[in-house]
Amino acid sequence: MSLKLEHVSYMYGSDTTLAVRALCDINLEIPDGQFVGLIGHTGSGKSTLVQHLNGLLAPTQGTVTYNGRDIWGKDFPKKELRSKVGLVFQYPEHQLFEVDVFSDVCFGPKNLGLPKEEVEARAMRALKLVGFPEEYYKQSPFELSGGQKRRVAIAGVLAMQPEILVLDEPTAGLDPRGRDEILGQIAHLKEETGISVVLVSHSMEDVANYVERIIVMSGGRILFDDAPRKVFGHVRELEEVGLAAPCVTYILHRLREKGYLVDTGATTVLEARDTILEALRKKRGEERHRC
Amino acid sequence: MLRDITLGQYYQTDSILHRMDCRVKLVATLVYIISLFLVDNIWGFAVAAVFLAVCIRLSKVPFSFMVKGMKSIAFLMLFAVVFNLFLTPGKPVVAFWKLRITDAGIRMAVQMAVRLTLLIIGSSLMTLTTTPNHLTDGMESLLKPLKKLKVPVHEVAMMTSIALRFIPILMEETDKIMKAQIARGADFESGNLIQKARAMVPLLVPLFIAAFRRANDLAMAMEARCYRGGEGRTKMKPLVYRRNDYIAYGVLAFYLAAVLAVGRFMPI
Repeated sequence: MSLKLEHVSYMYGSDTTLAVRALCDINLEIPDGQFVGLIGHTGSGKSTLVQHLNGLLAPTQGTVTYNGRDIWGKDFPKKELRSKVGLVFQYPEHQLFEVDVFSDVCFGPKNLGLPKEEVEARAMRALKLVGFPEEYYKQSPFELSGGQKRRVAIAGVLAMQPEILVLDEPTAGLDPRGRDEILGQIAHLKEETGISVVLVSHSMEDVANYVERIIVMSGGRILFDDAPRKVFGHVRELEEVGLAAPCVTYILHRLREKGYLVDTGATTVLEARDTILEALRKKRGEERHRC
Repeated sequence: MLRDITLGQYYQTDSILHRMDCRVKLVATLVYIISLFLVDNIWGFAVAAVFLAVCIRLSKVPFSFMVKGMKSIAFLMLFAVVFNLFLTPGKPVVAFWKLRITDAGIRMAVQMAVRLTLLIIGSSLMTLTTTPNHLTDGMESLLKPLKKLKVPVHEVAMMTSIALRFIPILMEETDKIMKAQIARGADFESGNLIQKARAMVPLLVPLFIAAFRRANDLAMAMEARCYRGGEGRTKMKPLVYRRNDYIAYGVLAFYLAAVLAVGRFMPI
């Protein structure tokens, strides 16, 4: 059981004059039971990439194979693939539509043509997995809080019992507490079910605590694909693609290049101010000596 | 999947027509359309066609964009031509079974086809060279006299420009929701008509909610910036006629005179 992308490239609007290359020669394999973090700056191609994982977008070049079969081959069961690779979009609560929470979660498994008991059992299990309180099962999904809505939406995909769960920015728009809760819940359900999870994010902090492998994307290419420890070793390169480095770090690095002896390790604005002032003082001292 | 729909597409480039005041373009389009209905001989249509060809040339918009607009009315065109061809009374030229094609019918059908073609290309030339915002600005400014009759001109113009602005936004939203539901196993393509209609529910409910949410946000944002209707509202870029615009009006008047003259004094 594995999902494999080979030399995948994708262009938006490839038939018009305004073609934009979103992915470029992506090689990637997602094995069973792995917790993967997919990181990249806005516009790096993350969202485009995840839509290739379940066949929503067809690669302009290259192949996507699931268990060794080309998913764009003739008579490949796309619907089955979409149940095996569960994709949770950004702001998934925007896709809720049913009269109550439970029916909404049933939508996925119902589309798979399962018998009613199986559909309900799956929905129940999914809602438990995301830690959704049972007393709200019959409530309208539109009356819930943002965090709870998102749980319901994630449960809606989980109810199809995918082997790979892909979450596109599952913490976008949540407050710090909601973010930690959702991420904790995802880690928990990963433990419980043993499925593979791909967590898409633009923030290092979000994924660093949970994943065992980090894929860093930039400009539609894969920059790094390694264990977190090793990826974090490339601070400089990460900074270059706009990840995980505070603004002051850039300023300090630039000053250092210009010959000011600032401490580039400073991370807060206050620390940066102190080290800049000190560097200026030293420099002035030197100039006075020269005179 | 939904991006292909074009509606009042603006073609971004820099030309004399793009820079022209939107009011001139609106009036010109209106005059042009009226002129097409005043004309009923070959020479009149020739003048109209040449005038349009010169405008297209000046606009720097590729001709293929105009043809795109034609596709949407191909059916209407066929309809008009066929009806005129068979149902106009006159001297029969060809007759078989109960159908008769008359000389007047052929004349009417050809006229209709030419008229519709010029009309569509002419009006799409306006939308291709004018941004939707300019279009509503121009409309508001031209309809200003109606304010005296208590017609809410500003409100209508504002609503139109908001509606136009929302089209691409909602299109994108539809695309997103569609994909999300497909990822949950929804099927929008197979099944009979009733099944297809039912399959739209998971798309339409979230879409409506999204539209209301956006409308709410927009209303709030407008109020936060003290919007309270057109009363006493000034423009950042007021519409001003420049030299070129007066020249354009002159050219337009000349065109209208030419078309009328040709229609009056040239036979056929």
